[in-house]
Amino acid sequence: MSQLGSRIGVQIYLVIFFAYLLGPLVIMSVTAFNSSSFPSAMPWECLTFDWFRSLLQDSRIMNGIRNSILIGAGTVVLSVLMGLSGALVLMRIWPRLRATYYTIVIAPILIPGVVLGISTLVFWDRINRLLGLGPGSVLSNGLFLTILGQSTFIASYCMLVMVARLQRYDETLSEAALDLGATPAQVFRKILLPFMRPAIVTAAVLAFLASFENYNTTTFIFGEYPTLTIELSQKVRYGVTPAVSALAFIIVALTIFIALANEAIRRRRELVAAVRSGASVTVAAGGRVTLPRIFSGNISAVLVVAMAMGTIVMIGTASVYRPDQCIADLRQEKQLAAQKRAEELRRQRDAKTGGTGENVGIDPVTSPAAPPRSQGGGFETVFDPGVLQELGN
Amino acid sequence: MPRFCHDFLQRLGTVPGLIMLGLVLFWTIGLIVLPQLSMLDFSFRANLPPSEVGGPNDVHTLENYKYLLYGPEGGSQRYNSVDLKVFFRTIVAAACVTLFDLVLCYPIAYYLGQTQGKHIRVLALLLIIPYWINEILRAFALRIIFGETGVLNGILVGTGLSDAPFDFIRNNYALYAGLGYAYILLMIFPIYNVIESLDRNQIEAARDLGAPWWRIHARVVIPYARIGISSGCTMVFMLTAGALAAPQILGGPSSLWFTQLIYQHFNDSSNWPQGAAYAVVLLLSCIVMVLAFMRLFKVSMGDVNK
Repeated sequence: MSQLGSRIGVQIYLVIFFAYLLGPLVIMSVTAFNSSSFPSAMPWECLTFDWFRSLLQDSRIMNGIRNSILIGAGTVVLSVLMGLSGALVLMRIWPRLRATYYTIVIAPILIPGVVLGISTLVFWDRINRLLGLGPGSVLSNGLFLTILGQSTFIASYCMLVMVARLQRYDETLSEAALDLGATPAQVFRKILLPFMRPAIVTAAVLAFLASFENYNTTTFIFGEYPTLTIELSQKVRYGVTPAVSALAFIIVALTIFIALANEAIRRRRELVAAVRSGASVTVAAGGRVTLPRIFSGNISAVLVVAMAMGTIVMIGTASVYRPDQCIADLRQEKQLAAQKRAEELRRQRDAKTGGTGENVGIDPVTSPAAPPRSQGGGFETVFDPGVLQELGN
Repeated sequence: MPRFCHDFLQRLGTVPGLIMLGLVLFWTIGLIVLPQLSMLDFSFRANLPPSEVGGPNDVHTLENYKYLLYGPEGGSQRYNSVDLKVFFRTIVAAACVTLFDLVLCYPIAYYLGQTQGKHIRVLALLLIIPYWINEILRAFALRIIFGETGVLNGILVGTGLSDAPFDFIRNNYALYAGLGYAYILLMIFPIYNVIESLDRNQIEAARDLGAPWWRIHARVVIPYARIGISSGCTMVFMLTAGALAAPQILGGPSSLWFTQLIYQHFNDSSNWPQGAAYAVVLLLSCIVMVLAFMRLFKVSMGDVNK
């Protein structure tokens, strides 16, 4: 009995925990489809795809994505190279220096990102001045500074990945190659590098993601190259539109897609390995609807395909569906409500002043809803009182 | 030393070896050590216009650190109570968030680490997904929920639990929830990794000997998971104390995070030396906290980051 009780307890805890973890992301994704001009899910207005359109037309976001990719590429190259070298040095360094060296190269992970950004900014500014270069030189360029600043700590992540792989490297392989007459450079290129390839790929992916996400370090040094994260933070801090939610939805969907695809490939590999070792997978498809071989026993693969189809359907709907009628209805409704409210206010005020001043009643402030404008931008309801309150926070 | 270099070059070939040594030197000296020292030096200097830098006025001074303690010269208060309050609030709140995350994550990590089955992999996948989403967007998601016209207020008002929207942002609930949310995975994974390697037989043995569940945790699991717990706590504490995005997005107008003060000195009042001094204080206090922590849990630097 108590066993059952504790199992139910565990289940409830798991549900609450994952709700805390995933709930906000789900709600954020939902707001991308609500026509309300402030991202909200609760008073559901109309289903719309307009926010995706306005996202694509946002030149700052697009510019931010370009900068992020540029900086990400630079950071990946630099930090993977530094991480690999750092790991190789760690393996061979003089034992007495090893602890100090390890502390130095690991420290950037623990140093607050803000501090890294500031120290990069201050240091290169000083070098720049020391060399007598002007403010427009390479050393004060946002691209250069951001790549260096981010690489400082991302290289540490890369190094940890490399070290984990290097620890399994069999030194005798190098020795055998050397004995057979290979030069050290050949050993490095033909044996060590191929062995390290999985770690290098993992490190590169990690480095790119870390660079793409980084805010704390970048915010001090981006200069004229605001990354996507910087642009997003500006948008979120000063006036949000659901276009941000639309971007978030795309990122969430992409993340799930990649995670599932990765899982599917891994599962596929496991299945193949199982078949090779003599076990049989045909059991999975016995008697029921037979799926293509890739999918049998591979839920992730099924989900990947389902998601891809869902995306196609969504894009198809988006190009056909027009929520104009719904939005127009809603606008009319709001206008009526606002008029009613204005009238009520006027009546109240009249009652208070005892009808002494006729001209007091006509006050533009009392009709909060501006007359509807015909352009299809996302700003029709910017003057809603709710929006202003939100911005005031 | 030369022998090590010689050995290294011989192992990797002269050209690749030299390139790699150069890269490592650039990384450790040029990117890690020198910038930190430069920031430290900079924090002891006065805020001068560019023309006076290097001139006779460019001397070392304790002014910037004094400012944190005593406020502007000739100020009405004895201490810089505003900034000091922000500083201590940041440290205490970061410690509370760390504790909250630990309490929340330990059961999950234990469950994931000690349960077998296919669904564990699905759960692990679900855990990783939020971590891939941008920090800004995660804070934004919570803002949608906690905002005045947000989901939570919609539910509260809609169900009649409360008649007016509650301002979660002004009361900092949103900020603490957001900070706890932001780095939660860095707490789970280290603990999970350690607990996964704990032999189930040890737990069985304790149970057979009649230990109640809480004693099994106190005497077997937690001592074993010590390294994971301490590295998780270290990461979460450092990241929370150094967080900038969540306080900027979720913080109330009257409450600041220490990093926001630093940010203001750099971006709004452009008093770089002052900002650098604050950054040094942040860095030092984080290091002190972490060292105290490692002493408390009896772990060494090499164990962290596993």
